[in-house]
Amino acid sequence: MAEDHLWWRVAWRNLGRNRGRTLITTSALAFGYLSAVVMVGLTDGMSAELVENGTRLLIGQAQVHASDYLPERSMYRTIGGQNGVDVADLLERLEAHPDVRAAAPRLYGGGLVSGGEHTEAALLLGIAPGRERHVTTLLGHVTEGRAPASGSREVMIGVEMARQLGVGVGDELVLVAPAADGSMGNDLFALVGIFDTGTPGIDASYAVLALDELQRLMAMDPGRIHEVALTVSRPVDTPAIAEALGAYLGSDPPTEVRPWTALRPELAESVALMDSMNFIIVLIIFAMAVFGVANTMIIGTFERTREFAVVRALGSSTGNVARTVVYEGIVLGALALVAGVAMTWPILVWWHRAPPDLSALVGGFSWSGAQWRPVLRVEYSLEGPVLSALALFLTAVLAALYPAWKAARIPPADALAGR
Amino acid sequence: MIDSSGTAAVRTDDLWKVYPQEPAPVQAVRGLTLEIEHGDFVAMAGPSGSGKTTVLNLIGGLTRPTRGRVWIGGQELGSLDDKKLARLRLERIGFVFQAYNLLPVLSAFENAEFTLLLRGVPHEERRARVEALFKEIGLEGLEDRRPSKLSGGQQQRVAVARAVVGEPALVLADEPTANLDSTTSAALLEVMERLNHEHRTTFVFSTHDPRVMERAHRLIRLVDGRIDEDRRVEPAVPAR
Repeated sequence: MAEDHLWWRVAWRNLGRNRGRTLITTSALAFGYLSAVVMVGLTDGMSAELVENGTRLLIGQAQVHASDYLPERSMYRTIGGQNGVDVADLLERLEAHPDVRAAAPRLYGGGLVSGGEHTEAALLLGIAPGRERHVTTLLGHVTEGRAPASGSREVMIGVEMARQLGVGVGDELVLVAPAADGSMGNDLFALVGIFDTGTPGIDASYAVLALDELQRLMAMDPGRIHEVALTVSRPVDTPAIAEALGAYLGSDPPTEVRPWTALRPELAESVALMDSMNFIIVLIIFAMAVFGVANTMIIGTFERTREFAVVRALGSSTGNVARTVVYEGIVLGALALVAGVAMTWPILVWWHRAPPDLSALVGGFSWSGAQWRPVLRVEYSLEGPVLSALALFLTAVLAALYPAWKAARIPPADALAGR
Repeated sequence: MIDSSGTAAVRTDDLWKVYPQEPAPVQAVRGLTLEIEHGDFVAMAGPSGSGKTTVLNLIGGLTRPTRGRVWIGGQELGSLDDKKLARLRLERIGFVFQAYNLLPVLSAFENAEFTLLLRGVPHEERRARVEALFKEIGLEGLEDRRPSKLSGGQQQRVAVARAVVGEPALVLADEPTANLDSTTSAALLEVMERLNHEHRTTFVFSTHDPRVMERAHRLIRLVDGRIDEDRRVEPAVPAR
């Protein structure tokens, strides 16, 4: 115990002998930590942005359907079957769950939209506008007019469909859709809004109505909906939340809850790709640090060749000589960690709260079917900084191993003779 | 710690040390055979390059002989691995180097207690031993000073304290007075003589210094790695 204390003391004081060098090495490691944590934070921010943009525009972070609705999306397979469900009660139950932030009911129909002499195939989407605003950003993309209101024959279409039909706000459109009773529902609707999501597929194919209007057009009762879209407390954890929600809802009515990772697998793959990038970036940063620190420690070891020889001559084992060098690495790692954390956290928190807006330099763009904001967003959790701290420690210890091995192999007589 | 089994403190048999070097290997020690008794005070003299330091290194187990064998208190060093050899040095041999070689990051006290710490001697005993020794060799009040704040003589006395504090059977001193003035040298030699006398510690010096030779009980003169002269002498300066 006392002997171990001696080697820690020697290690600590050795670091104090060349304070400039220790400061530079510590700073290099601390900056390595800062770089790793910020890079991880940036890619986590990109992942979060990707998930949010990819899910919040239209699909939500999770969806509840009748258990037999997907993948065919038959119009008859509404939640609760032919009898439907008490929609208000279902929404209330869902929003009572601690991980659900908001829920919005939806109905889908395939149909045609005609304006003047033009007709386009469309996906008709019935929404509850008041709820939809809390789940998706679709209504935030209305560039002309407004969202359709409940109880009035109003429709909103995308900018691309409006261009193809040659219509504008205030014009009348005819909507035709197969109804649940086997008839063909059709009616005249006022075009009250045009949206521009930046995603051509959506802007060209969606016609959005109030839920009750689409139910009426498709001859469906008010209790019949195809889907409840959800936002959850932790989008990254949606798969686990969806599983918990499935158990929470039980089998009355039979439903299934799908997370965004199942609804948008390409998004999940992009996030996995970013996680891999994170790992590689951290690996590169700390690999560079290992060589830098090892180089400094080798120089320090070389300078103390005679001291190691004396220690060996006095009866220390080679293990003790190696131990003191490794302890130096550990102390260096601890110092660097304190400096790194002190430097990193304020930057991370500030960056998280006020992400730099690059809109003056670059515009928004679309990736993976999602619209991106030109902001450098940083996200953080305990995992990234803790893993980086572990990596920093490993770096310091790994960097000390080779110098320790070299120090332990110093032949005492030759070193004392200056050979 | 002193081996009183009747075997010699040091014995060597046909000891050779050859350094591979270009253009020709250097034979630093050539067939050295000697025996040193317990409690002896031996000066090993000779010109530079005569092999004095190499002999001390071979006896101390700091380097392996090219040929031949060394025994310390009956223990043959060639049969020991590095770990056991280090343990033997720790428990039986004290070293005093020409250039003091104190550890600069430790205080005088910490340097002196170094080998006791490695041997796991309890704190109180270490303190008592080092304090007594510091008092004996005039280092009182300098315990907390780092080597850089000590004079050459003070550093060498700390080095002697470090070598003898564990009461080793054998102390090997490589030109211990080479960097000291005559007064400091005399004081240091008196300390070593007293330890030799009181504890029956065996001292083997390599030296050029006539003051050391005057106090030796036995003088071994080396030339070109061989014993040129080996005789017992009456110390010119009697031990106090």
